Amino acid sequence: MILLGKIVLGMAGVGLAGASILCSEGLVHVKVIEKQPQGVHINVIAPAMLAPIAVHLAPQRDLAQAARRIQPYMPVIRAALDGLRDSEDVVLVEVKDPREHVEVAKSGGSIVVDVDDDAETVHVSTPVRAISSTVEQLAAVNSSPLYLQPAAPSQQ
Amino acid sequence: MRKTMRRRTQTAAVLCLLAAGMTALATPAKAAPAERYLHVNVEDSAQGESVKVNVPLAMAEKILPAINNRDLHDGKVTIHNAEMNGVDLRALLDAVRTAPDNEFVTVKDKDSNVRVAKANGNIIVHVIGTKSNQQTVDVTVPLKIVDALFATAKDDQLDIAAALRALSDAGDIVLVTVHDSGQKVRIWVDSLNTQE
Repeated sequence: MILLGKIVLGMAGVGLAGASILCSEGLVHVKVIEKQPQGVHINVIAPAMLAPIAVHLAPQRDLAQAARRIQPYMPVIRAALDGLRDSEDVVLVEVKDPREHVEVAKSGGSIVVDVDDDAETVHVSTPVRAISSTVEQLAAVNSSPLYLQPAAPSQQ
Repeated sequence: MRKTMRRRTQTAAVLCLLAAGMTALATPAKAAPAERYLHVNVEDSAQGESVKVNVPLAMAEKILPAINNRDLHDGKVTIHNAEMNGVDLRALLDAVRTAPDNEFVTVKDKDSNVRVAKANGNIIVHVIGTKSNQQTVDVTVPLKIVDALFATAKDDQLDIAAALRALSDAGDIVLVTVHDSGQKVRIWVDSLNTQE
């Protein structure tokens, strides 16, 4: 009985540790509500750590072009993310007109984008650390010389 | 006996933790310098539109040197001779800097009145539209920022990054206001992270 208890406790501990690691970079929250009567409601909360993992597991060949394009901007992206990480919570941009309200803010270590217009309400929240890891992962694809080769012309 | 010892040890450990916590709370936290923000506010009352931008200056200072594009490198922008039109900007600004507070330029025409002056360590540009053009523009640039633009840059460069640093150190200041019949634009620096 005690042994069973220990096994259950061990499994719970492993589960808790796994969940903690998975959520260590925070959570990505995407919420879309269409304002039509039959409109779609989407609400996704996922561990942010999945994003860099997804980039890591994605076929590198498919990411090579995106990686090449992002490469020249990496110093600016790094500096911006670094600055955002260190800054206090702040509404960076707010645009209002009679039909639309857009807000981009830094809140609690995340970048939060809210859009509210006649058709839908969109809320996206992504931890800065996760954006940073994902972008770095994407940029690292480029460092592999294998993927820097231009695609060979197809022989028909 | 062993049980009593263990209980005493546990009590001592808890007391030590409490004491450490109290000491940490009692120690005054080292005050970090308040973050400074560059704010931009555009309001179009005719269209019912508004745009608000709040940029932490520290963030801008980090980003700017990372941008290397065309004439902007390492936070410095190169001004080509053609754009200077043969005017020695450094000499011109040095003359303004060392001159006493005064009104330097006054232009009056049928569309606007323009006034450029130096007052209280600031260069002030004031434009008032007349009759057809009811626009008012006020620009205030602290001389410290002008100095920073030229301090470390080469002859044909402006050190934007240094100017941003100087802007961080300057007090709360309204840099630009533009008013016309429908729109209001305001650019200023302060320590608040909102525009309320």
